[in-house]
Amino acid sequence: MIDALQRKTFLAIADVLIPAAEGMPAASQVGVGDEVLDRILSLRDDLREPFVRGIAAAAGKEPQAAVEALNRHDPEALGAIGLVASGAYYMSPRVRALIGYPGQEKRPGNPDEIPEYVANGMLQQVIDRGPIYRPTPK
Amino acid sequence: MANIRKRPEVADVLIIGAGASGSVAAKHLAESGCDVVCLEQGGWVDNGEFWGDKPEWELMSQKRWHPNPNVRDLETDYPCETSESDVNPLMYNAVGGSTILYAAQWQRFMPSDFRVRTLDDVAADWPFTYEDLEPFYDRLDVEMGVSGLNGDPAYPPGKAPPLPPLPIGRIGMKAAEGMNKLGWHWWPGPNAIPSRPYGGRNQCVRRGTCLTGCPERAKGSTDHTHWPIALEHGATLVTGARVREITVDARGFATGAIYIDRAGREREQRANIVIVCCNGVGTPRLLLLSKSPRFPDGLANGSGLVGRNLMMHPCAIVTGHFDEPLESWLGPAGQTIQSMQFYETDPARGFVRGAKWQVMPSGGPLGMRAAYGGKPIEEAWGVGLHRTTRKVFGRSFEWGIIAEDLPDLENRVVVDPLLTDSDGVPAPKIVYRNSENTQKLIEFHVARAQEAMRAAGAIDMSVTPLMRDCGWHLMGTCRMGTDPGRSVVDEWGRAHEVPNLFIYDGSVFVTSSGFNPTGTICAIALRCVKHLIAHRHEQMAAE
Repeated sequence: MIDALQRKTFLAIADVLIPAAEGMPAASQVGVGDEVLDRILSLRDDLREPFVRGIAAAAGKEPQAAVEALNRHDPEALGAIGLVASGAYYMSPRVRALIGYPGQEKRPGNPDEIPEYVANGMLQQVIDRGPIYRPTPK
Repeated sequence: MANIRKRPEVADVLIIGAGASGSVAAKHLAESGCDVVCLEQGGWVDNGEFWGDKPEWELMSQKRWHPNPNVRDLETDYPCETSESDVNPLMYNAVGGSTILYAAQWQRFMPSDFRVRTLDDVAADWPFTYEDLEPFYDRLDVEMGVSGLNGDPAYPPGKAPPLPPLPIGRIGMKAAEGMNKLGWHWWPGPNAIPSRPYGGRNQCVRRGTCLTGCPERAKGSTDHTHWPIALEHGATLVTGARVREITVDARGFATGAIYIDRAGREREQRANIVIVCCNGVGTPRLLLLSKSPRFPDGLANGSGLVGRNLMMHPCAIVTGHFDEPLESWLGPAGQTIQSMQFYETDPARGFVRGAKWQVMPSGGPLGMRAAYGGKPIEEAWGVGLHRTTRKVFGRSFEWGIIAEDLPDLENRVVVDPLLTDSDGVPAPKIVYRNSENTQKLIEFHVARAQEAMRAAGAIDMSVTPLMRDCGWHLMGTCRMGTDPGRSVVDEWGRAHEVPNLFIYDGSVFVTSSGFNPTGTICAIALRCVKHLIAHRHEQMAAE
């Protein structure tokens, strides 16, 4: 279980990694420290140990300096924190709407439709250039 | 060994491995009335276990459903020692094998692939031709439910696949525009992914998560395409059965296999015929582990070629970024279009053979697909993260380049002296280096793919000249041929030294081609098993 202090430290680091900029919200503004944090750490148990280790090392430090220190001394821990933060961030419906990502959506094609590249002659140019393989030698 | 429990029956045929080739063999043998037992170390995978239809997809792709068994670290996997390899081998161990996680790019080799010695004076010719294999390719198109478009000028004229092609999307159209400007070959890519409901599977809905499992039960993995029919016809499939040795009698005939079940007990399955279908790493591992007084260097290894000539298809990626939305998360993934413009040898290029290219989507925003992560911190975080996402996400696609690597005795699978799987069975070690020919080939193809991206209108691009996690295609480690001194099996997959031992998987490949190999693995398995069925009354067995 992630306690309140760990969560607070995580949010501070997450905002260094993912700040409010370029029209995008900061990590803390889309709730990366809420239930989604616990869910990710339960699904990705392999991240828990380096995540907790990195958070412990960063506790009480100025966030930017903590990120730089982790990058120098424990990149695995920073990687775990960054993956949890960015994973939660890009799962946020608000963030997905801002970047135009509907998720891995269902959008089946129509198999009875003539493909555009056939209808507009694009593929015919390839056909017109003729075979490009070497046949089996006799 | 006193503690080994014998299954009571002597099967007509024992198949080791329920992946692509084992599935094809099991289906056709069972349909012919043979008593078939298959031992598979993994289990069944339910399509509901896949994450492609859930927000956590990218996070789970990087661990639980990663194609590298060393990353997944599941009990059903075996680890691979890779400290002396340029490339990591990728695979999945389950019913359906690596088709669970493959892209289902269902390719045929080209005619020249079977005659590289005759045409290019390298490696060796195969013991059969494209034309010999063509009827089996045709049959597999139907069994797998291939979607594609007939008439590709990169191939001799042939039969149409059973289903119309999948949409190529904006990324495929953009790539095709570039190729047409240059006058280069492209064609909508064939995929074993149904464009309409087929054979009990659903229509592809283009989630683009094929490489991490299809949650729609659409993709043609052989747990769906072949195993239901094999079981219906009486095949016995034992899951959780990790084979550690193929046993032989005093005459040198295979008698069956010893395996470890999930309760940790050793068991024996006896059979009149043994077919090994563990692919290019698992098969040589098992043969090398199966030592006996008659075969002190490993089973069927009198030539010393078991494990040698490993080919893994080094893969390069050129990713183009465009200033327009391309919806580049949409599938299939799978491939949208392919090109064989530079497939055949041109001596002026300074290397032999070539590569197939394919356009694939570039995935979600978290770092694209599992194998592509890892940027410097300055680029990866802060304002740079938002800028990169805005520039790249949804506006990029990749030309993937599958480089044909030629057989080299020094590239090999051996048994590691220390590493073991979870049952204590010694694990394989991979020794693999890219040749000078391969390096020149990749350099040339990357430069051409960059031209193709520029012609398509890319405003920027990035290049990955060699992906480390790209060893999806594991081939050549028990090559077939007519000369027992220079090959392990004959053209029907029969071991030269063991009359009732067969190998049907990618390890029998003589050369690698530049194509995704599963279509050819299955076609060879079908050709071999049809021959076995037709000649079964002549087949000798252990006494």
